[in-house]
Amino acid sequence: MIDALFSQPNYLAAKKMLDCTVLRHEAIASNLANVETPNYKRLDVAPSFETQLQQAITTGDPQQIASTQPELAVDTQATSGRADGNTVLLETEMMKLNQNMVEHTLETQLVSGALQKLRTAITGQI
Amino acid sequence: MINILPGIDSTSAALNAERIRMDVVSENIANVNTTRGLDGKPYQREQVVFESVLQAQQNSDALGSAPQTVQIARIEKDQRPPIMVYNPSHPDANAQGMVAMPDISIPEEMVDMIAASRAFEANLAVVKDARAMAMETLSIGKH
Amino acid sequence: MDALSSLKLMTMPQMTAGVNNPLQDAAVAQAISPAEMQSLEAGASTPSASSTQPVYSFQNLLGDFVSDVSNKQAAAGEAVNGLLSGKNVSLHQAVISMEEANVSFQMMVQVRNKLLDSYQELMRMQV
Repeated sequence: MIDALFSQPNYLAAKKMLDCTVLRHEAIASNLANVETPNYKRLDVAPSFETQLQQAITTGDPQQIASTQPELAVDTQATSGRADGNTVLLETEMMKLNQNMVEHTLETQLVSGALQKLRTAITGQI
Repeated sequence: MINILPGIDSTSAALNAERIRMDVVSENIANVNTTRGLDGKPYQREQVVFESVLQAQQNSDALGSAPQTVQIARIEKDQRPPIMVYNPSHPDANAQGMVAMPDISIPEEMVDMIAASRAFEANLAVVKDARAMAMETLSIGKH
Repeated sequence: MDALSSLKLMTMPQMTAGVNNPLQDAAVAQAISPAEMQSLEAGASTPSASSTQPVYSFQNLLGDFVSDVSNKQAAAGEAVNGLLSGKNVSLHQAVISMEEANVSFQMMVQVRNKLLDSYQELMRMQV
């Protein structure tokens, strides 16, 4: 019964996206660390996760949302314009870092807001 | 180690590696005119070789899809032969008046240094962001 | 998120079957099974059939509720342990577990307060 409190699709989706942003930060950290390593291929969260999550959100099934799992994969879209086979571009990576940071803030506020609303409803005090 | 800052292993290894690279570059620049090193031969330019090491992770599956840290594989001496410059008044000039100078070009070293310093700053930004993310996470649910 | 509607989940569907029935309030203090209440209201002709079915009483409801809350607390404790011992638990998972356990616990405390209040109000009733 307590699970019903925390099974709203929006809340679950926000939690999953939070997992995704933390994982993506790890990938970006690895990419920027290896910006000079020959033949390093850039990593990112697997694009299949995004499509899975969007599908799960449209169906609105809490179980389906909770069963999606983000994971890292080599980015096959990235092309290597460099001589040493490295597919990391510094500026692109910095932009992704900034964007990921803002996404993380957004997801944190969504999750935090949901929990605060629950608290307000339960205790009756702001 | 407590897993609070995501990606901190990659970033700290990278900061280390870039700093070592800067050290090597500044050593090259300092020795641009060294005609007699410790072994009696002109200074041989040094170069770092980066390699990426798979972080030991409990659920790392295929190689290449887990975060990788970087490390300096080795600092190797460049094999470029020293350039001969005509300078008969130099104490190290040989019989023909040619001096063997290290084949170090300052612009090349400066470009290396700029690249290393940009990579260093990028990794610093990553650490700052990781910290900001962790602080935000700690205030979930609080007013 | 509609927190108020999920609060309404607290009052089980069986209980809200006759929502304005004053007998319902009395049933809070006593353990009249909701299934029997429904059969009384509907004038069902098979009261014996309801007593052969397993009855989900308010007592069971409360028991499930308390065990859910303690499961949440246990999960939060595990998450924090996993985080501190360096296992594969990330910071945000541990923090969110702790907050959810906190909210569940507050819910339980409020339910307890409301039950006490209604009990005391009941005791104040003039016979």
